[in-house]
Formats: sequence, structure tokens, C-alpha cells
Amino acid sequence: MTMLRVRDLGVRFGGLVALQDVSLDLNRGEILGLIGPNGAGKTTLFNCISGLIQPNDGSIFFEGRSLRFAPPDERARRGIARTFQNLQLWESMTVLENLELPMDAVGKRNTFSDALGLPLSHYAERAAGERARAILHVLELDGYGSRLAGDLPAGIQRRVEIGRALAMRPKLVLLDEPAAGLDAGETERLAALLRTVRDRFHVSMLLVDHDMSLVMRVCDYIYVLDFGKVLARGRAADVRSDRKVIAAYLGEATPELAESSEDATIINAGQNGGRVPPTERAEPASPGEPLLEVSSLAAGYGHLEVIRDVNLMVRAGEVVACIGANGAGKTSTLRAISGVIHPRSGRVVFDGHDIAGASPERIARMGLAHIPEGRGLFPNMSVEDTLRLAGDSTGARVPMEAAFDVFPRLKQRRHQAVGTLSGGEQQMVAMARAILARPRLLMIDEMSQGLAPTIVRQLFQMIDAFRQQGTAVLLVEQFVESALGVADRAYIFEHGTIAHEAAAAELRRDRNLISGSYLGSGAAETNAIEVAANGNGHKPHPELMEIVSMRVPPEVKRALEERADREGRPVGALALELLEEVKR
Amino acid sequence: MMPGHIVRFAIAIVAFAVLARLPVGLDGAFQFDAALALVWAFGILSLVLLTGYAGQVSLCQATFAGVGAYGAGMTVAGLHGGYLLGIVVGVLFAMVLGVLVGLPALRLHGITLAIVTLGIALVFDKYVFQDHIFDWFTGGTGGWQVTGASILAISVDSSKHLLAAYDILLALFCITAVLMVNLHQSGAGRRFRAIRDSEVAASTMGVNLTRYKLLAFALSAGMAGLGGSFYPLIAGSVSPQPFWVFTSLQLAAIGVLMGVRYVPAAALGGLFMAVVPDVLTRYGHGVFMGRLYEISYDWFQLAVGVLLVLQLILLPDGVWGDIRGRAARIRDLVRGGANKQVRPA
Repeated sequence: MTMLRVRDLGVRFGGLVALQDVSLDLNRGEILGLIGPNGAGKTTLFNCISGLIQPNDGSIFFEGRSLRFAPPDERARRGIARTFQNLQLWESMTVLENLELPMDAVGKRNTFSDALGLPLSHYAERAAGERARAILHVLELDGYGSRLAGDLPAGIQRRVEIGRALAMRPKLVLLDEPAAGLDAGETERLAALLRTVRDRFHVSMLLVDHDMSLVMRVCDYIYVLDFGKVLARGRAADVRSDRKVIAAYLGEATPELAESSEDATIINAGQNGGRVPPTERAEPASPGEPLLEVSSLAAGYGHLEVIRDVNLMVRAGEVVACIGANGAGKTSTLRAISGVIHPRSGRVVFDGHDIAGASPERIARMGLAHIPEGRGLFPNMSVEDTLRLAGDSTGARVPMEAAFDVFPRLKQRRHQAVGTLSGGEQQMVAMARAILARPRLLMIDEMSQGLAPTIVRQLFQMIDAFRQQGTAVLLVEQFVESALGVADRAYIFEHGTIAHEAAAAELRRDRNLISGSYLGSGAAETNAIEVAANGNGHKPHPELMEIVSMRVPPEVKRALEERADREGRPVGALALELLEEVKR
Repeated sequence: MMPGHIVRFAIAIVAFAVLARLPVGLDGAFQFDAALALVWAFGILSLVLLTGYAGQVSLCQATFAGVGAYGAGMTVAGLHGGYLLGIVVGVLFAMVLGVLVGLPALRLHGITLAIVTLGIALVFDKYVFQDHIFDWFTGGTGGWQVTGASILAISVDSSKHLLAAYDILLALFCITAVLMVNLHQSGAGRRFRAIRDSEVAASTMGVNLTRYKLLAFALSAGMAGLGGSFYPLIAGSVSPQPFWVFTSLQLAAIGVLMGVRYVPAAALGGLFMAVVPDVLTRYGHGVFMGRLYEISYDWFQLAVGVLLVLQLILLPDGVWGDIRGRAARIRDLVRGGANKQVRPA
């Protein structure tokens, strides 16, 4: 039974066509994947379904009723919940409160009974609290209930957002990039979690993510968007081998793609977190003089010391990667070097000067550029103004036109506000801004976060180009493969300090070096989950599991599976439909 | 009722018992200050709901109080109604105005909303409270004179029974304060706070933004109007001056200074706003080191400005927020010690 029916949807922002003739069907109990390059219109489609944007054309039906005039809160009451790509938790409220709110927002208590503390409110309150705790338990968030949502790390916040969506007792959950910023192990766990969630809460899901491995593994059916149109749709295997999809998602086919099986390449890219195999690159220039030397660096926030005894070195013209699990101290190290946070102790020598404790603007003027996680752009400023401001304040040594030569795409967008650009273009603006001062060392934090593989590959090629021009680069990357593809050396962070240092080539050859120390103690846990997930993999449909538990005769079960296979539909959805027919 | 509710009511009753005794035996001027402190405390409490909980900016809270005061004055002195009816009329007028002010807030945020509400305060100050078109509401140049009023057969005349009016207003304040704390901990309060933190998330999680924003404005204006409706009782008459634009700004400034997210900050702020300038003008003159000096009301305004700057730097969560934070840390220390003893089991 079709739960969500989108027909000929069109959205235009001024002259820009964000969505055009998009039609989509989602069946009850299904997890539907929505993929596509940056700026393809995925989030716009989400916003239309949840009512934040009114489409110019087309219609959306939920459970057979039009959503045309329903404001967002009414759609929520009808059973559509969502999460947000840029986290939107209520930060000054506790995690429990974040979960309790949606429960009673769809209930029938009122302000006056609440203020008077009448029994009606009292019991509702207690029930809400219990249910919220139960949801936190399923999401493995037990200890977090009384913490303020805004104080939690982004990865945890993403999971709380899923919990908040479930708290509403939704029928359909829209998940916008739930795996953004998670490493491979965490993504693995998320995939298992999403299946558990569907089993336990009986929801359908619409999932947007860049991590192909997650989408391919979790979704029953996949739609591919490109330039606001549906490019392809089908089951994971079909989409994976669709030539149009490969071309759109990975950019123009590379020689190796053309000759070998596209299938393998895209799966491979998926397993590397959507990253791309390294492109051929020039041999590293002979190691130059040490440009940056950090010794026994310690830094932290408030009472918390997050990095200690960090020793690292970057030579002129070298690309160095910092890798390690979330919270290992990579970002804080970059921030301590660039002066954004004050080092507690230790030395930071850049170009022969000790810069530990110097102000960030002085360090920037010395030729050390830092592109922070999240890019640190001004959303209302135009591209040109952003670059001009950077030129004025850091003492540009390169005219703005040169930055446009490097990033021709920005030239077309020069008068557009940065906030309206796609994620990839914003990263380009951040990089263009950094290179205007012709820095001798460029530090980039999580460059590829939330970007499609095509864009990521272009950006990594850019880094290679910087190196050839003599700029040293210090990278922090969640995606080890692609970072090692471009780097000369790598430092592996663990628990706030550097655990290993090795040549990138060596790490590429010897996986154990990474998985042993990088995954750390988490490896065993991940394996356990993988086993659990695979065990589940034989019967991935919760509804089917229900039928199994209802002791359906094996021959009926087999017939069901055969029919589902013939019709090319999820077994669970088919089973549910038949069940409903029988009930009627 | 939950244990929390009982504790809160108990605290409110104790607070009422203590505060009701406080102005007894003071001279008339200080008794007036004490009553006035409650009027402004209601003004700041209305901001706790609107700004502290729901995140909506308003620079016209004194206007709501003024509408409450004139509504009560008109009913009692103009239409010869009872004072209780006057209070009801004052609160209702204020709530209606609150909803009207809330309508633009459905679209506006932050600084734009602040300017719109400031404009409303200016318009009411100049063209309603002081204009002859609205004489039926404002009682003309002399304002409304209220004498010999009573509420439920209790004499609350400003000249002889000022403390009776004070006690009634204090009781109302204590009750409202408890309701406000209850609200914060409950579903509706959470919805207000959700609007403050992220409107987008609130609407997609089922919160009707229109309804809850207007509700916040109506309740807030009603609270300010309730305080204001006692003004004619306390002062014996109504005039535009106490409810001019600057009072609105002062309410906002002192609300932020004391901690606009916390209910007790309203009591602190009201006291500060009513008593400090009076003390300054009364005792702030004399001879110091052979020179004559005089501290005027202007100095109070300057002091508020300076304090606000200091507070934003030193105590970003306001005076009460800071006290609360310290108390919580001390409690954690004490409990931490206790927990360690318990934990081995």
C-alpha cells in the first residue's frame, strides 16, 4: 500500500529550478533511499514533504490525503517526522525534554492544566518520561537523558534527533544525512540501528545520505536525483550498475571505470565511505625543510584537557594527514596550532618562530591558513565580498581573479550569497579564501564532510595541485582512504595524542596498521554488530519476522518470498498488504 | 500533584508570609515602593514568559501594564464599576493588545521584532495615553482618580489601606510565579522553549507556531496588565508617565540584568526598579568632603546601563542565573560526597 505519493513536484527558487517533475512512491514498511550529488534537490524534497517549503507545482499525498494546505505541525500530527542535516535539536533543553516534547505536542493537554499541575498533565508527563527513556534505551543513549542537548558531540546529537523523531509515534520518518560525520564503524552501527528502529517502531523511512554503503545496505528501494529530476530508481543492485547514475554520481567515467566493472568501483567507493580511489599523482617533491614543528602540545576547553603531548612536523611542500576516531583530538590540535584555542603547554614553531599562544590573526598573517570544520563562512555575504574581505584582512598576495582561475565555478556564482551555494561550492569558497593569502601551510578540517564523491575528488585533486605549487597541507579527514590517497605521511590520533606516525604509502599497503590502532578497542564491538546485522540479513524485513513468529507454514512463507521476488518488491511490504487484505 | 508542585506551593506560601510582613511599620513612601515593586515584578515576569521561555523580544511590556492600569481606571472611575471588574477589564484589554502585537511576531524575529514593539510602545505613549481622542480610556489630562476602592469587601484605598492592596497583589504574584515555574517544567513550557531554540524543529515536531506564539504574547501581556491594573489602587490615580517608552526599555534591561529565564529574577528586578531610584533620590544628596552632591534619577538610569554591560560580560545568565549556577555546583559537591559513600553497595 502506498503511504507517501509524490506527483510531478516542482520547486523553483527565483530562476533556479530545485525540483522538476519529481514523482515518488513509498510503501508502508519500506526504507526508501534518496541519493544524488550535492545540490540535486534532496533536502528540498524533504522540506516539501515536511511542509517547510510550498512546492510550485505538483502534489503530495500521505495515506491517500493531500498535504497541500497542511502546515508543518499538522503533517507532524498526521505522522510525518524528520531529522535535519544541520542539527536542529533544542539545545538548551535536556535530551529527555527533547524527546518528551513531540509526544505531548501531538497529545491533547493544554497550557492551563500544565501550569496548575493537574493530574491530567501529571500522568501524561510521567508516561512521556517513561517512553522517552525507552526510546533512549533502544538507541543506546541511556546515559544521556539529563544532559543538555547542545553540549553533546554531533554524532550523539544525530542519534538524539532520530529519537526525537520517533518520540512522536510517526508513521514515516525522513532522515536527512544521519551518517554525516560518522566514521566507518559508527556508520556500520547506524545501519544496524536503523533496521532495529524499523523493527521496533514499525515506521517507514525515507533516507538521504552520501554514504553509499549505508544507503545500499539499508534501503529496500532507491531513487537517484540529479539536477532536481529523478535520474533513476530501483533496487540497490539495479541502481548500482546504472550507467547514468555512475556518471552523475562519480562524474565523467575515469579510464579504469570504463574498462573494469562499474559495479565493483561504486561498491568499493561505498565501502570507503563514498570516497574515491586515489588518482595518479606526481611523486612528492623531495622533503623540504621543516615548516611546522609541534612539540609536547597540550590544550583543552575549560577544565577538560583534550590533547596532550602532541608532537608532529610538516615539511615544506608536504601533505600530511591526521586520522583517527571521532573525539581523538584532531580538530583540537589544528585549533591549538592556529591559535583559535590557547595551548596549555608545548611549543609550536612555524617557519622558525614560536607561535604558541599568538593571536589567530597574527598566525594567519604569517602564512598559516586554517579552514575550520563547517568552513566558517558568512552565509549572507556574496562570494566576491567573502574573498575581498579575506584579501583585506590577511594581506592578499594573490588577486581575486587567480582564485577564480583555480575554482572557475565560483566565478559564475561570484554575486551569489554564500549561504545559498551547495556544500561543495561552499567548501570551494573556503579554500579560495584561504589561498588568497598564498599560505605556506594550509590546514583543512573535514573537507569532505557531507559532500558527494565527485566534488570530493575534485577537492583532493586541488590539494595535490597546491602541493605542486609548494604549499604544505595538513589535513584532518574522517575518510582515511582518500586522505591517504593524497598524503605523503599520516599521523594516527588516539585518545588525545598521536599513537603512530607512518608514510601514507605504507599505511595504504598495510591495513592492519590502521584497523589495529585506528579502530582501537571499537573493532571488536563493530564485529559483534556486524555479526548481528548479518544474522538479521537473512530476513531483513521486520514484518516478515512478525509473520514468522506467527508460525506461518513454511510453504506459505516460501510462496510469499517467491512472489515478492517475482514482483520485485520487499517481502515485508507484500506480506503486510496480504495481511491487511485478509483482515478486510 | 507531584512532589515538585507541593514544594513550590510551600515555598510560595513562605515567601508570601515573609514578604507580607516586610513593609509593615515602614513609612508611607516605602510602602508605596513595595507595592510598586510588585507592579514592575509582574512586568518582568511577563518578560520571563515571553523572552525567557518563548524567545520573543518585546520592548513594550510597560505599554501592556499601562493598558491594564487605564482599563482598571476607566472601569472604576469612569464607569463606576467594582475594582475586581476593573482588574478583569484591564487584563483583558492588555491580552487583546498582546495578541495584536503577537501577529507581526509570527513573521518577525530578533531585532526587527524589537523595533516593531518599540514602535508600538512609542505610539501608545504619544498617541493613546496622551491624546484627547482616547479621553474615554485615559480620563483626560488629569487621568482617572481612584478613591475608596475595595476588592471583595476588603478596603484597598491607597491613602489608608495601601498594605491591603500590597498583600493582594503579593498573593497574586506568588501564585503566578508558581504557575510560571510549573509551566516551565511541563509540556506547554517545553513547547515555548522549543520555539526559542529552533522554530523549524518545533513546527516539524507538531508544535503549532501561530498558536503558541500568540499564546505567549497574550499570557505575557495579561501578566503585565495584571500588575498594571493595580497601579491606580496604589497611586490613587493613573497618569501616562509611569508607562512611557523608557519604562519598557528599563523592564527589558533589568529583566536581562537579573536573568530573564528565571522566575525569581522578576521579584529581584521589580524590587530593584522601584526601590533603588527612590532611595537614591531620597538619601543621595548631602555634603561629601566639603562639596555638595546630589544623585538624581538620571544617575539611576546610567547605573542600569553600566550594570547591564558588566552583567553581560561577567554574568551572562543574569544575576539569578549566576546564583542558581553556584548553588547547583555547591549541591553537586555535597551530593558528590554523599554518592561516593553510597556507591560501594
